Amino acid sequence: MTTEAPTDDHIPWYHTVTAMIVAGCLVAIVNFGVRSTFGFFTVPVSEAHGWPREIFSFAMAMQNLIWGIATPIAGMLADRYGSARVLMAGAVIYCIGMLVMAYTDSASVFNLGGGLLVGVGIAFSSFSIVMAALGRIVPPDRRSWAFGIATASGSLGQFIFAPLGAMLVSAYGWQQALVILAVLSLLIILFAAPLLKQNTSGSRPTPGEADLTMKAAIGLAFGHRSYVLLVSGFFVCGFQLAFITVHMPAYLAEHGISKEFAGLAMGLIGLFNVVGSYVSGIIGGRGEKHVPLAFIYLTRAAITATFVLLPVTETTTLLFTCSMGLLWLSTVPLTMGLVTVMFGTRYMATLYGFVFVSHQIGSFLGVWLAGRLYDQFGSYDIVWWLSVGLGVFAFIVNLPIREKRAPRFATA
Amino acid sequence: MKLAGHRLALVLFAGVIVVWLIGMAVVMRHAALPPDASGTMLAVFEPGTPEDEVFAALTRADARIVKPSGLGFIWVVSSQQPGLAGKLRREGALGAYRELPVSPVIAGCFAFADAKVASLAQ
Repeated sequence: MTTEAPTDDHIPWYHTVTAMIVAGCLVAIVNFGVRSTFGFFTVPVSEAHGWPREIFSFAMAMQNLIWGIATPIAGMLADRYGSARVLMAGAVIYCIGMLVMAYTDSASVFNLGGGLLVGVGIAFSSFSIVMAALGRIVPPDRRSWAFGIATASGSLGQFIFAPLGAMLVSAYGWQQALVILAVLSLLIILFAAPLLKQNTSGSRPTPGEADLTMKAAIGLAFGHRSYVLLVSGFFVCGFQLAFITVHMPAYLAEHGISKEFAGLAMGLIGLFNVVGSYVSGIIGGRGEKHVPLAFIYLTRAAITATFVLLPVTETTTLLFTCSMGLLWLSTVPLTMGLVTVMFGTRYMATLYGFVFVSHQIGSFLGVWLAGRLYDQFGSYDIVWWLSVGLGVFAFIVNLPIREKRAPRFATA
Repeated sequence: MKLAGHRLALVLFAGVIVVWLIGMAVVMRHAALPPDASGTMLAVFEPGTPEDEVFAALTRADARIVKPSGLGFIWVVSSQQPGLAGKLRREGALGAYRELPVSPVIAGCFAFADAKVASLAQ
């Protein structure tokens, strides 16, 4: 498997397919990496301003909501003007948002910077925009692999930036650390530059794709049963991951697992996530995507049920986190791949953006509903079983997806 | 520039990790506490150091063990006497650091989790 098209010998190295894939991966590393450090700022920022932690947490919650809402908008702009320009604009907004976080003394301005601006910045420079570019650059038989390496890069970014962020806070203080990270986010502009070649301004449909307006494409997609099924399934992904991320440390603490061990075990999710995302991309390129996607959800359900039924020990915790890590973002390359199969590459960023909104709604509910149910029942058991049930639901809804071009998206 | 897919992934990720290690080394040098520092801190020994050697070094440095970190070569220790960081270095620790707000930051799709988990880990 090589990444080069035959014509690559006649173009500058920075516009070769390999260079553009590397560039896209570096964008994903920085985008996901920088945002993964925000948790380290909760305490120092709150203490420096004398704020309760709700203010920081509210800004982060708002950031995620805005990220979800802005992703289809970013996708529309990327499909219209090209991914590189959107990525570059996103980097600037991301940077400004973090600088606002660093220098404001006002809680409302902090929410504006850390919530609104950073949320928009993340959406505009996210790996879904990168994947849209890669989807157009690489040949169809390598597309899934490209989605896998881009997702794995994002996973690697969050794994390596987390300790770096903690050390930056320790070495230079939270304010300077935020400024350094803001400057680092501008690297996205540099890394996105090779992708400028993939410019979709005034683009025409690729051979085999029908000439549809964006509005028509969105309307037709939501009338397409397989797309609705895919959107429904991705909701479950968001629910499961957000629930585990936020509530599992508390669940483990209740069962006598030390927070240090819990941190180590949860960190392994990040490491195994890199492997799982990459392998998922390879699997998606070898045959049908909806079947492995369905089985990822079913396997998550089975692993979760087994974990809840067994006594919580250090061994079962490690087994759970490592296996869930393998399945963590492995849904992404397959989901993106299915969007491309159904609708082609012309509006892939937009249509994946709407799938991602469903994911973020699931994430919100995974955090909020789990907290509510815990308060009501004094136990996470019901949420674990809800997660199992949703996993089975996602398995059922993904199996009937028809993996072929949607009607009216293909020329006759 | 032609690279096979898997080799490209390997080279890319290895390269990123090398750059990261260099960046971490630089930042860790700046993050290390000065020799006269006291209070609660992380004592970091070389990975793989036997626990009895770590305990002996901590005892010689007059450090009180507060808690383990989850990794055998990193311990949270404390002393009100000035110069604990310097003593730890003299007794074989790689460095002493302020207790970091370390948290399991894996919230790939939901940064609110980062904030919540970080606060849980305090």
